[in-house]
Amino acid sequence: MADAFFEVQGLTKRFGGLVAVDNVSFRIDQGEVVALIGPNGSGKTTLLRLIMGVLKPDSGRIIFKGKDITRHRSCDIVKRGIAGTFQVVKPFRNLPCIMNVMVACMVTKAKRGEWTKRLAVKARDALEFVGIADLSLERAAVLSHGDLKRLEIARAISTEPELLLLDEPFGGLNPAETDLLGKSMRRLHKGGRFGRLHSEEMVMLIVEHKLMDLMKIVDRVLVLNFGQIIAQGTPEEIASDNKVIEAYLGKGVILGAS
Amino acid sequence: MIRGLYKAFQGNIMAIPGRAMAFFCLLLLCFVPLVTQEPYILLVLIFVNVFAIYAASWDVLAGFTGQFNMGQGALFAIAAYTAAILSRDLGWVPWATIPCGALVAMLAGFIIAIPSMRLRGTYFTLVSLTFPLILAGIVLVFVDFTGGEKGISGVSALCQSRVAAYYTTFIVMVASVLAMWKFTDARSSLIRTGLAFRAIQEDEISARCSGIDTTRYKLAAFGVSAFFAGISGGLYVHVMRVAGPMMLDLLWSFSPIIWTIFGGMGTIGGAVTGVFVLYPVMELLRVIPELRMFVYACLVVLIILFMPEGIVPWARDKIEKQCPRCKLINAMSRQECRACGAHLHTERKKLETVKD
Repeated sequence: MADAFFEVQGLTKRFGGLVAVDNVSFRIDQGEVVALIGPNGSGKTTLLRLIMGVLKPDSGRIIFKGKDITRHRSCDIVKRGIAGTFQVVKPFRNLPCIMNVMVACMVTKAKRGEWTKRLAVKARDALEFVGIADLSLERAAVLSHGDLKRLEIARAISTEPELLLLDEPFGGLNPAETDLLGKSMRRLHKGGRFGRLHSEEMVMLIVEHKLMDLMKIVDRVLVLNFGQIIAQGTPEEIASDNKVIEAYLGKGVILGAS
Repeated sequence: MIRGLYKAFQGNIMAIPGRAMAFFCLLLLCFVPLVTQEPYILLVLIFVNVFAIYAASWDVLAGFTGQFNMGQGALFAIAAYTAAILSRDLGWVPWATIPCGALVAMLAGFIIAIPSMRLRGTYFTLVSLTFPLILAGIVLVFVDFTGGEKGISGVSALCQSRVAAYYTTFIVMVASVLAMWKFTDARSSLIRTGLAFRAIQEDEISARCSGIDTTRYKLAAFGVSAFFAGISGGLYVHVMRVAGPMMLDLLWSFSPIIWTIFGGMGTIGGAVTGVFVLYPVMELLRVIPELRMFVYACLVVLIILFMPEGIVPWARDKIEKQCPRCKLINAMSRQECRACGAHLHTERKKLETVKD
């Protein structure tokens, strides 16, 4: 079997007696957008955090572009090209938005000359991409939740990742904001240049329930329950999968014909 | 060229009241020996210069990366002893012993930092308390080398005259403080460490997930902090001409903490201001020796009670106003922003129009 773009093998994480992620294996191929869904507490966020290196797995391997990145530090993982956002936003509250993004822009190698200006230009492009460039000088603390979510995404994409992990990007957003963010994500997937930022068919792993906006770009859905993958397939397949319905609604529920 | 420099001076220093004030204070300090050559006053000012570097070096670590080091005295003392021994045994001149002492302190800083950096918050603080205690033990064991309780005396003097010593320490102080300020300034265009430090201070996990090698930056902060603590230690030993174990006293490590918190943490200028205010006050209080510590403590407690962020941020809030639109810093007295022309005091303006 050829090397996958990104692969997780038998990943396990225990918190005391609770097995949050239980022997999870899956792979993502080049150019794919994968959605990860599952009921509350099924281990989605933990799985993402394991990949980002915030948490260390108890066993299993994470392979990215043929290299084992299990137990690497978060900063090295980011440098290799995996960036993620947090479910609960974690901005640098007392810094202006533009500096929040500039911090992430520092990942790319320093060039001689006026590097602060270069960083600022690039950061501004990222902010413009997610649509909050007009707030670039405001402190992150004064932003609304929706704008903070977008700031998180700006920060993640400005590290120029090849694999983008999004943890509930639409959580707590109103429909209009969801629409806007969905649009920028679709554009991100399509790839291309945006000012100083460029992406080529960014591979995405998205934890999200509201898949309506993303239906067009999601190729595959993984369903997690009690830390295990119970189903995977195209969105249509998943919507009619009995195991998935059972996980969300419970057994014995009489379902209407679907 | 000169025109450009003048413009940069106007825009970057004179337009910002805080910086303008700091600039004039430094200018004033340049002329002190012309006004008075009283040896005692000069000596106090020399110590103020030396301790300003010491306090600022503590602020680099604590104010910017949040590592509350209570053993800064150990680094100071390592450099002081190194300089004293080099001067005594090898007869080196001060401008060679001081950098050597600072480098040794930096090395010692790294050796201390690598294991203790694994701890965070209070635990790091508790471990850091032991640095000077361990060092005191070592000093008392190797009596032949370190002089034990008596210390090392007969270190060569920094300069022949006191005025020269004053200017030397003053120049070294200004240079070190500027270097530390640039090192930690988030908007600095020379070096990117300042921005990384701010990010680490705000949210360490988030910083790491934005690709910042937090361990490396924290180590760098420790190294720079130790280096400048070493510079001040070296200067001190050449001014006092004696190195003794009193430098390993815990009070010696707490002093920079008191000065910096008094002046304002996380603003290198605050640490310097703290020393420039508190050290002379402490000297003035020698007129009432019995109540000296009591009055000093009361003063510090009162200031911290009413200006919890320290006197520098407090004063800055009074004289500076950030433009609500372009975020440029303006003098409080201006009505409109110097760059974008936005009204600075919108609330007051509104009230006036209502009256009309």
